[in-house]
Amino acid sequence: MQALRLARSAATPLRSTTSAALTRRCLATATANPVEVVSSSTSATAAPVPLSNIEALWGKLTPEEKQTVHEQLETIQQKDWKELSLEEKKAAYYVAFGPHGPRTPVSQPGDNLKIFAITAALVGVAGAIYLGIKSISPAPPKTMTREWQEASNERALEAKIEPMTGISSEGYKGKGFVQSK
Amino acid sequence: MRAQIVSSVLRTAARPSVVARGARAVPFAARASSSHAEETFESFTERYVNFFKTAEDLFEVQRGLNNCFAHDLVPAPSVVEAAVRAARRVNDYATAVRVFEGVKEKVENKSQYEAYLQELKPLREELGLTLKEELYTSS
Repeated sequence: MQALRLARSAATPLRSTTSAALTRRCLATATANPVEVVSSSTSATAAPVPLSNIEALWGKLTPEEKQTVHEQLETIQQKDWKELSLEEKKAAYYVAFGPHGPRTPVSQPGDNLKIFAITAALVGVAGAIYLGIKSISPAPPKTMTREWQEASNERALEAKIEPMTGISSEGYKGKGFVQSK
Repeated sequence: MRAQIVSSVLRTAARPSVVARGARAVPFAARASSSHAEETFESFTERYVNFFKTAEDLFEVQRGLNNCFAHDLVPAPSVVEAAVRAARRVNDYATAVRVFEGVKEKVENKSQYEAYLQELKPLREELGLTLKEELYTSS
């Protein structure tokens, strides 16, 4: 809504200064390229641009040529719409609502695959770093074996440590010191 | 730019809303919490049909379409017809195609869209309107 108001207020001074051919207020074009409209009133005599393949051409056109196309389409659309050819219809739709200007798609086709490949590569790099560090790191301490920890349990029972709630208490179900597999 | 934003904000703030005007007329015993006036679908349809019948240029038509399609409902076929006829009046083919694209976005499923197309087939034939999916058959 804010953008809409700004577009409208931006369009108002233009309308008062430019010629009668440009009195048309248009959301689709006014927000897309307001500069274009300013520079256009002099280029009404520019060479006509072919409308048949406007989708491919549109990105390469200069602002003046785009304005010519706008004017061409404006006159074409005043005719009976049943007389319009498919190319003219496509051109009219593409220029007004095609994927250019503010309607450019955020992602190109194939972007998802690229994102997936790069993410997978980064996860792979992380895994390689993990394995590399693990291969050069020293062995775990000798107390981290099952045998040692079971022996620790025996010693704890001999010494009757933690007789209330811990390993030496009645009906103890826990694992005591055993944590390695 | 900043001054423009500030001025438009102030303008919005200064404009008394419809709801507030309605509430002021009601005696103060009315409850504030649930006293919003609710527009029925029929009055919504009538409002936008009238709007599109009187819309004077492309900017107004597209503004009306933006507002109309912003609600949580699919505009009635009469609204769609009025919008398409407004687009014809201001000589903008692309907007007429876009109206049907908007309907396609708003409906819940394909059969509803088909129903709209069937309902408005005479209009499309009368104006020579091609749908977007007919213009771009491959995509």
